[in-house]
Amino acid sequence: MIKGFAILLSGLCFGQLIMAQTPRQLIAQVNQKFAKVNDYSADLEMKFDIPAVKIENISGKVFYKRPDKFRIRTKGIIFLPKQNPYYSMQSIADTNSFMAVATGTEVVSGVTATVVNVIPNNNNGDLILGKFWIDAVQKVILKSQLTTKSSGTIGIENTYGSKLPYALPDNIVFTIDVAKFKIPKALAVDINSKTKAADTGSAKGVGVISLRFGNYAINTKLKDTVFTEP
Amino acid sequence: MLNLISIELYKIFSKPRSYIGFGAITAIVVLIEFALWLDGKSYLSFILQSLEQSFQVEGNILNGNLVCFIILQTLIVQMPLLVALITGDLVSGEAATGTIRLVLTKPFSRAQLLWAKYAAGCTYTFMLLLWLGVLALCGGLLIFGAGDMIVLKSDGLTIIRGDDTLWRYLGAFSIAFLSLVVVATFSMMLSCFTDNSIGPIISSMAVIILFTIIGTLDVPFFDKLKPFLFTTHMIVWRNMFDNPLDTSQIVQSLIILSGHIVVFFSVAYYHFTRKDILN
Repeated sequence: MIKGFAILLSGLCFGQLIMAQTPRQLIAQVNQKFAKVNDYSADLEMKFDIPAVKIENISGKVFYKRPDKFRIRTKGIIFLPKQNPYYSMQSIADTNSFMAVATGTEVVSGVTATVVNVIPNNNNGDLILGKFWIDAVQKVILKSQLTTKSSGTIGIENTYGSKLPYALPDNIVFTIDVAKFKIPKALAVDINSKTKAADTGSAKGVGVISLRFGNYAINTKLKDTVFTEP
Repeated sequence: MLNLISIELYKIFSKPRSYIGFGAITAIVVLIEFALWLDGKSYLSFILQSLEQSFQVEGNILNGNLVCFIILQTLIVQMPLLVALITGDLVSGEAATGTIRLVLTKPFSRAQLLWAKYAAGCTYTFMLLLWLGVLALCGGLLIFGAGDMIVLKSDGLTIIRGDDTLWRYLGAFSIAFLSLVVVATFSMMLSCFTDNSIGPIISSMAVIILFTIIGTLDVPFFDKLKPFLFTTHMIVWRNMFDNPLDTSQIVQSLIILSGHIVVFFSVAYYHFTRKDILN
């Protein structure tokens, strides 16, 4: 009985501790954790599920260097989100540049996450609204939803593994709105293809790009040439 | 027989019109490659504009594999016409000049002569296609480099990895050869029925154009006709670039094309071996 009461009390205290954090403080702690990473390289496996595009999985190498250098090197054609995977981190790097509002908690992949909405103070940037699901215990972003001027709404889901202390995910899944894709027959010279009677935009939908990272090499002082050389 | 075939080949290549096809292919391929080299990126960004609203497409998109595919798609309408220009003249050309009677006085049968003309016509077709392959694929790879291939279709894109393209091109060119042999057989069949060289050439071209138009139009009535037109199956080479490969559709079209060849040649054989040669 006493043991149970003690657990409940400690749980309540812990909950109060988390709730006591302002959203801005929470984001600052997330930034602080990610700040341990100056650069990294890793092996990468990419999977694509894009409406109207048939493309096989591909592997390659990924490079990152603070503050915003990012490159994926593969031997073939790839589709990437317009923003790099750390765009969400970059958009909240300066805690004075936005207004943060905590809107409650939600469970993401079995973890209770604090939901924080971020509204930039400056209207000139690409980001219009950001919604972040933050693991307040581990100080990492589990999920984010970014509404941008250039690419519409992008969903990003992170799954962490051995590199959790650096806030580097093992998997990132991007979910991107895709406009209906159609090439004029004359351009495709697709003369015998049949136009579907009810062509209401079946190609329109959501594109999913999954990045799986492995063999991280962190803070190895990557050279800048890595990001420019062919 | 080989001697007879080489004589027929000599006849074909001694006519200036036989080089029109090679000249036309060279001009078209060089023009397309030059245009794509000059402005290919804007052509591609026009095609990919709806995808580029959401994604960043990275990699060597404009490469030799894609350029060859664009050229093949463009030339698919013209190639049969270039083939018919020669094969439509194989028998009727000699009837018009009056040399066929003289040729048939030699000690070989009419059937042997027809087979020799047919083999020479197919060899010409093969050489034309080989020339196209050398210019489009080898030239494209030389100018634009290798890489993953974007297969353009009106309702989507298929990306084929670079090391997976060569065997597909070999298959595509083989199917294209069979398709052109259908045209060659058809025009030679018409050639057996007339004594002037223009008639079979123009008739072959007219049929190909008509069938192609029927294949292009999205009219429900034409949908019933399309499976019976050889032009519908002539573009099955494109299926070699599907991923996964739809082998049943390819095999079905190959059987239909082969069937057309057998029927057209049988009609030509039947008529030529029995007809009165009066001039």
